[in-house]
Amino acid sequence: MSGRGILRCWGALMLLLALTTGLAFVPLGPAQLGVSLAIACTKALLVLLLFMELKASSGLVRVFAAAGFFWLLIMIGLTSADYTHRTDQRVPVDTVR
Amino acid sequence: MRPPNESYLNAGIGIRSWLLTTDHKRIALLYFASITFFFAIGGLAATLIRYELITPGPTLGSPDFYNRLFTMHGVIMVWFFLIPSIPATMGNFIIPLMIGARDLAFPRLNLLSWYLFVVGGLITLTALLLGGLDTGWTFYEPYSTFYATGYVILAITGIVVAGFSSILTGLNFIVTTHKLRAPGMTWYRLPVFVWSTYATSLILVLATPVLAMTLLMLVAERVLHVGIFSPQLGGDPILFQHMFWFYSHPAVYIMILPSMGVISEIVPVFSRKSLFGYQFVVWCSIAIAAIGFLVWGHHMFVSGQALYASLAFSFLSYLVAVPSAIKVFNWTATLHEGWIRFDAPMLYAFGFIGLFTMGGLTGLFLAALPIDVHVTDTYFVVAHFHYIMVGGAVMGYFAGLHYWWPKITGRRYPEYWARFAAILAFFGFNLTFFPQFILGYLGMPRRYQSYPPEFQVWHVLSSAGASILAVGYALPLFYFLWSILKGDRAPANPWDATGLEWTTRSPPPPENFDATPTVVRPPYQYRRGEPCPQAGK
Amino acid sequence: MTDEALTFQYATAEQQRETVTLGMWAFLATEVLFFGALIAAYFNYRIWFGAEFIAAARMTKVVFGTINTAVLLTSSACMAMAVGSFESGRRRGPVLWLTATALLGLAFIGIKSVEYYLEYQEHLVPALNFDVHQHGGIAEIFFIFYFCATGLHALHLLIGICLVSWLAIWIGTGRIDRSGSTTRLIGLYWHFVDIVWIFLFPLIYLAGRSG
Repeated sequence: MSGRGILRCWGALMLLLALTTGLAFVPLGPAQLGVSLAIACTKALLVLLLFMELKASSGLVRVFAAAGFFWLLIMIGLTSADYTHRTDQRVPVDTVR
Repeated sequence: MRPPNESYLNAGIGIRSWLLTTDHKRIALLYFASITFFFAIGGLAATLIRYELITPGPTLGSPDFYNRLFTMHGVIMVWFFLIPSIPATMGNFIIPLMIGARDLAFPRLNLLSWYLFVVGGLITLTALLLGGLDTGWTFYEPYSTFYATGYVILAITGIVVAGFSSILTGLNFIVTTHKLRAPGMTWYRLPVFVWSTYATSLILVLATPVLAMTLLMLVAERVLHVGIFSPQLGGDPILFQHMFWFYSHPAVYIMILPSMGVISEIVPVFSRKSLFGYQFVVWCSIAIAAIGFLVWGHHMFVSGQALYASLAFSFLSYLVAVPSAIKVFNWTATLHEGWIRFDAPMLYAFGFIGLFTMGGLTGLFLAALPIDVHVTDTYFVVAHFHYIMVGGAVMGYFAGLHYWWPKITGRRYPEYWARFAAILAFFGFNLTFFPQFILGYLGMPRRYQSYPPEFQVWHVLSSAGASILAVGYALPLFYFLWSILKGDRAPANPWDATGLEWTTRSPPPPENFDATPTVVRPPYQYRRGEPCPQAGK
Repeated sequence: MTDEALTFQYATAEQQRETVTLGMWAFLATEVLFFGALIAAYFNYRIWFGAEFIAAARMTKVVFGTINTAVLLTSSACMAMAVGSFESGRRRGPVLWLTATALLGLAFIGIKSVEYYLEYQEHLVPALNFDVHQHGGIAEIFFIFYFCATGLHALHLLIGICLVSWLAIWIGTGRIDRSGSTTRLIGLYWHFVDIVWIFLFPLIYLAGRSG
């Protein structure tokens, strides 16, 4: 990547950082998590595609790069199938001590 | 071109040439020695367990001693025998030969893997010799962190170190398979053993890091007395189980997939026929690895996880049986109208197909929620997984060991002793573990030292079977040793098989091939019972 | 001496280059799952505990976190400049950019240390002095995650700083060949450590700030 390209990428990352921190203080309700994660994913994609040169890499390298994240999504997704459907009452922690 | 008597075994003499080797074949032999050692220790623990269970009351010691015994058996057998077994030994030795390469992609990393395995094994062994631990190999919380006495942290440290060994091995295999294939060796010309090891390596690389983190969190909890998974401090013990089984269920596919690969190599050779449905078999290996990541919750049906999650995991567990079944059909179809030879590798392969099918079918019973509620934590589960891991994986290990023994050592083993050992092991295995299905159905819980007297007859049968099985496993030690010292020299291709590994000498030269082969044909090509080699014109 | 001599199992230098790149990405995939397991546990607790877990995040220091994120992102840019400069054949350029990368990494560690010290003063360190009666048990679990995740990240960052410093010295003394992959691979590791932080930052610092 050229020096100018790196500078532009850095600028975009800084803007996204300002955006995500700023939006954290805006009452977005339940969308808050989704918004901050979306911005984080965008930042990560910029680093992956440009700094780590995935955009210029072969398809095989891109599959290797994606595999870990994809498997992580499986883990988070399927375990949350349990936690989003729990019906039993949680004991308030502080009364246990 | 090397002189005919120079092979990887005598190129380089002295202990330094072995302990500092980067030759994948020598590293494979280092692994053979280490895992045989751990198999013996795990087997000793099993012997003591079966001896203890002959009588309903205590025989050898206290219940606490018995808890430490089965923990030792599980930890050693899972992490220090089964997980490395076929990949680290036969995978290391045979894969570069099968793909026409001169070594793995990262030979020094390969040696590091072995050292990590040995160091991890010695650490855990130290924990066991110092007095062991009584948590079971599953380390459930909060018992393992807040209540268990014993060397929990030391044992886990050894497991984490050995875990990194298996991650690096898997990484090595994946990259090697992608980049080091000989000219003409396209993916669909690869032997099934390579595809199976590739699928196994996917699991090694993607699942083991989760185990490392889970066990580290357990250690943090035990050392710092904080409550990550402990309910009395606000945590959820089921979260530990989720994270533990996210690795440990795919881990059982690490144990079975390489064995399936070995069977896929042996059945065509000893039927003198092409493997039926090659593309189905290879993609089913990948499917087993992939779907195997989605079913871990079936170990937690009665733990307290949400019923919705249990339903999802039950359904997915039915799904994962399908590719395994497809493989069994394909092996059977390969046998049909073949010229079958009952050499020792084939006897072990037959044993595998039958016993794996039984183990797999009983897995389906366990995937059904109402049945699982009845038999979970009973001997039914113990029998199920031993049918797969011993009747399946260990039979596959012995099958491969006999099949590739001439290539690895350059010697033949005594065939009739080997067939006798195979038959003895099959008979001993069934006598050991079939009664355990009955025990479990009748309600005998697992991990119990003392039991009601009405269960004794089944336990006695099981222990009798174990003594026969032990002989079946011990015999190879003797005749393999005899083979190394006095066996006939083996030719390059003693089985008249078609793979690339049979085109080079037995034992192979250090760089595997005198010239890099060019592959022109798919594997397992037999015409009227005669082999058509893969390489050449 | 060059570290990139063609080893015997490779037919061409290009094959070796592609192979080591794949090896590095496979290793990074294992790291994604290693950190990811911790993050998965975080998500499940966030779902299960709900509002109290998210509220605990408000006790983290968002100014420190934001500055640190900017520091790390800039260090990644410096690393990218170093790799680009090195592969264009220069020697002084890469050494300067690598030094900047390492210094920014050390700045991150410094800021983090101050942050940890302040948290110790505020009785927020589980196992040491966490004030459960004031903050509650769920906040304690949040802070266990906070220290585990940021501590593990800092450890990876320290390893990266050592690697980058070692690389700067080797390039400066002319011991690394331009045709090799070492510089590029260390760059991949550094960017990965940055990506881990990109995800940790909103999960730790930005939760529960509004309302």
